[in-house]
Amino acid sequence: MTIEGLLIILLKIIGAVIIAFLGVILGLFYKGIDRKLAAKMQARVGPPIRQPFMDFFKLMIKENIVPENAVPWIFNGVPVMTLVATITILFYLPIGNISPLLSGYGDIVLIIYLLTLPAIGMVVGGFASGSPYANVGAQREMVMMMSYELPLVTTVIAIGWKLSQVYPQLNVFSLAVINAHPIWGLVGPLGFVGALLLLITLAIVTPGELSKIPFDVPEAETELAGGLLVEYSGRNLALFSLADAVKTIVMVSLTVALFFPYNIAHLFDLSGIFAIGIDSLFFLVKLLLIMFVEVTFIRVAAARLKIDQVSYAYWVPLSIIGLLGLSLIVLDTIMI
Amino acid sequence: MEYLKPDEIVELFKKKLDESAIIDSRVETKTAGVKKNSYSVIWLQVNPISFKDAIKLLCTIQFPHLAIISGNDLDKEIELTYHFSIYYGGRFKEISINLATYLPKEDLKIPTITDLIPGAQTTERELKEMFGVTIEGLPDLPNIFLPQDFPKGVYPLRKDEKGVEIKVERKDEVKKIE
Amino acid sequence: MSKMSYSVPIGPVHPSLKEPMTFNFEIYGERIEKVNLAPGDNHRGIEFMGRQRNPIQIIYLAERICGICSASHPFAFCQAVENAAGIEVPERAQYIRVIIAELERIHSHILWAGVAAHELGFDSILYLTWRAREEVLDLLEYLTGNRINYGIFMIGGVRRDITKEHIPRIKKTLEYYKDIYAKLEDVFLNDPTIALRTKNVGILTTEDALRLCAVGPTARASGITKDIRQDQPYAAYADLEVKAITPDALTGEVHGDIYDRIIVRLLEVVQSIQIIEQCIENIPSGEIIAEKKLVKLLNQLKKAKGEGIGRHEAPRGECIHYVKLNESELPEVWKARAPTYNNLMTWVPMLIGQQIADIPIVIASIDPCIACMDRVTILNKDNGQKSILAKEDLHKLSVQKTRRITP
Repeated sequence: MTIEGLLIILLKIIGAVIIAFLGVILGLFYKGIDRKLAAKMQARVGPPIRQPFMDFFKLMIKENIVPENAVPWIFNGVPVMTLVATITILFYLPIGNISPLLSGYGDIVLIIYLLTLPAIGMVVGGFASGSPYANVGAQREMVMMMSYELPLVTTVIAIGWKLSQVYPQLNVFSLAVINAHPIWGLVGPLGFVGALLLLITLAIVTPGELSKIPFDVPEAETELAGGLLVEYSGRNLALFSLADAVKTIVMVSLTVALFFPYNIAHLFDLSGIFAIGIDSLFFLVKLLLIMFVEVTFIRVAAARLKIDQVSYAYWVPLSIIGLLGLSLIVLDTIMI
Repeated sequence: MEYLKPDEIVELFKKKLDESAIIDSRVETKTAGVKKNSYSVIWLQVNPISFKDAIKLLCTIQFPHLAIISGNDLDKEIELTYHFSIYYGGRFKEISINLATYLPKEDLKIPTITDLIPGAQTTERELKEMFGVTIEGLPDLPNIFLPQDFPKGVYPLRKDEKGVEIKVERKDEVKKIE
Repeated sequence: MSKMSYSVPIGPVHPSLKEPMTFNFEIYGERIEKVNLAPGDNHRGIEFMGRQRNPIQIIYLAERICGICSASHPFAFCQAVENAAGIEVPERAQYIRVIIAELERIHSHILWAGVAAHELGFDSILYLTWRAREEVLDLLEYLTGNRINYGIFMIGGVRRDITKEHIPRIKKTLEYYKDIYAKLEDVFLNDPTIALRTKNVGILTTEDALRLCAVGPTARASGITKDIRQDQPYAAYADLEVKAITPDALTGEVHGDIYDRIIVRLLEVVQSIQIIEQCIENIPSGEIIAEKKLVKLLNQLKKAKGEGIGRHEAPRGECIHYVKLNESELPEVWKARAPTYNNLMTWVPMLIGQQIADIPIVIASIDPCIACMDRVTILNKDNGQKSILAKEDLHKLSVQKTRRITP
């Protein structure tokens, strides 16, 4: 191994630390904005934007209680695993026009795998808590996972397939490639409608993936008193809240990368560091807008569904919408 | 639906039950509002032996609504009053019927009415806990209002030695100087 | 393989319960197989306390049975004492009582709507409704001096008059609710997620409602036209046209599910507005209390002998008080019964066969008031040893506990 190779590895490690740090801060900050926006929509004052930070620091100094029935090493290990898995996804996501840190080492299929890890972690943690509420929550989380996977994969496959038709020579599942070639520019009018349907699918999968109302059945405050998280306290709960914040960023970034990978630097004839700066800012604005639609707005405008209704909603109507989108894109390509 | 007048209901009770069944009866008429529209309240005192028959008879008029059973410790005996109402659903039609019965303390037993009116379970269980009345035919269920570890043989609303003493001293009360 | 069911306890403290109460569920998968109710976590021994108080003192005790029903209990209690002692209430007082009771109904039903939405996870509606509720609380404060625990009822009448200056403010509030009602109706009856969660959930058949002696909106939503204001009108209700509201008034059919209970409560808000309007229009002039001097009133009650029941259609259903006076300072019997006491049993048929997710909304759907239901308890008793706990001892104990948990 050469010195250059070592240097690259070192740079990647430093980059990873910076991205993890920024991702966590951004996640908590956006969580604060989400709460503030929800409060404004409900005509409340709402907590200050720094509230998630304060919550996090408060939880960190609180006592960490492990219930008697729990399996301690699983119980304590799961929050760390969840957070790590979530942060890892960040390394595969493009930010503005910066290509992903680990670009070339994994693609969107890996991201889908990684996305299931936090959910599996929570299921394991729930079962390890030894509380009936957490048990019910874990069962529900498993059902949820099985439900939203199909529409999510449909969306990704459709975009990948379309790209592979247009650019057969590229690695179509790489996010850098997807980011460089927005879907909207590649399709005709029929495909445009299809892509729109796929966008709707992803927008509805997002709150499910993040366990937000109306799909927050695994946590369901009024039914299960927090469900999966009912026995977690102190540091472990803080890690879960971090993971949740980062996961919000991840899911929203995924929507941005798949559907809105546009940059604005070239409009102002900027280059170099300015281009990166303005694109990153634009990226943050896109994140905010999409988070508002996918998380905040849906959250304040609906009641919680029951688990059978959730899995029905994902399996039947949403899968149909997703498959319809896929077939429209296919039709569009074949007809051209 | 055919509505009986309050007096007719009392007559019905007297006719259908044994002669000794209805010990006392009273019909009150109350008025309300500017227009002085009136409603009636019937008070009946029933012999404990014919009590179940009285309830059965009541059920033939219309399925009665049981509000509550109230108890009263009268030193030698316990008075139970069953507060019913019938003819609900029509304006000015409802009549309250209060069936009272006196149980001697040596023989505190009354048949359950949950077979006729299942909704009576809560109030019968409360009666059992608070006054120590044995409800015949009521399944032995845990305490409904009192704690599960409440001492046996203590009935809070009794005024005799089986009741409880008032255990909060009121320091703010002005005491008479003797 | 045999069926494996497991038990899930809900309560005494749980986010879906606003007051302490215990439920033990036998669950198979997500379906409820068996329900065990264990109330009694909220006993304060109120009827027992009533034994050491004279009737006028009991009014304030009755008012504090429950914060939300704080007009219903004194209303029923005062009627019971008046019936027992044969006191005639002036007509003006009867109207004022009805106005206060109906304002309370508006506030209680809107509060319920918010709680129900919260149980469904629809917090936006919680904030919407509870903000709307502030208006009637402000009005109640303006009329009686208190947001809750109004302290306006007195045996033989009311303690405060509603004068000409009060009328515009009442009318303003009624207008406000007329405006907001359309919004509430739209939100509750046309929202697809609420319909998904409430239609055909927690069904109580007409027969079950009858057999279990259900009262109030719970019974009416199952199709029983039972409303004391209609059946046995008391106070000013005898002059007004009140009709028991069943859900078929709006939809044409009765299902007895939670959706129907929402309809009944929403329509009752409109009904209350109409009743208050009629009251304001027709209120007669005259005295507001039969006997102004409390000492004289107490003496009169001391000499009275007789028994009486007072019934009032509280927001949650029939509230009944029974009082027996026996020529002494303290009433011989005071029995209070709140609507939740009767509706308690209706939870069982509603819950069996439903999912875990339905538990909170089904429990909330009868608008339970655990504080009203549990009234009687007794101080602790160790090994038959009777101990006296004075205020100082309690204070000492609590200081000890504080020291113990904060070293």
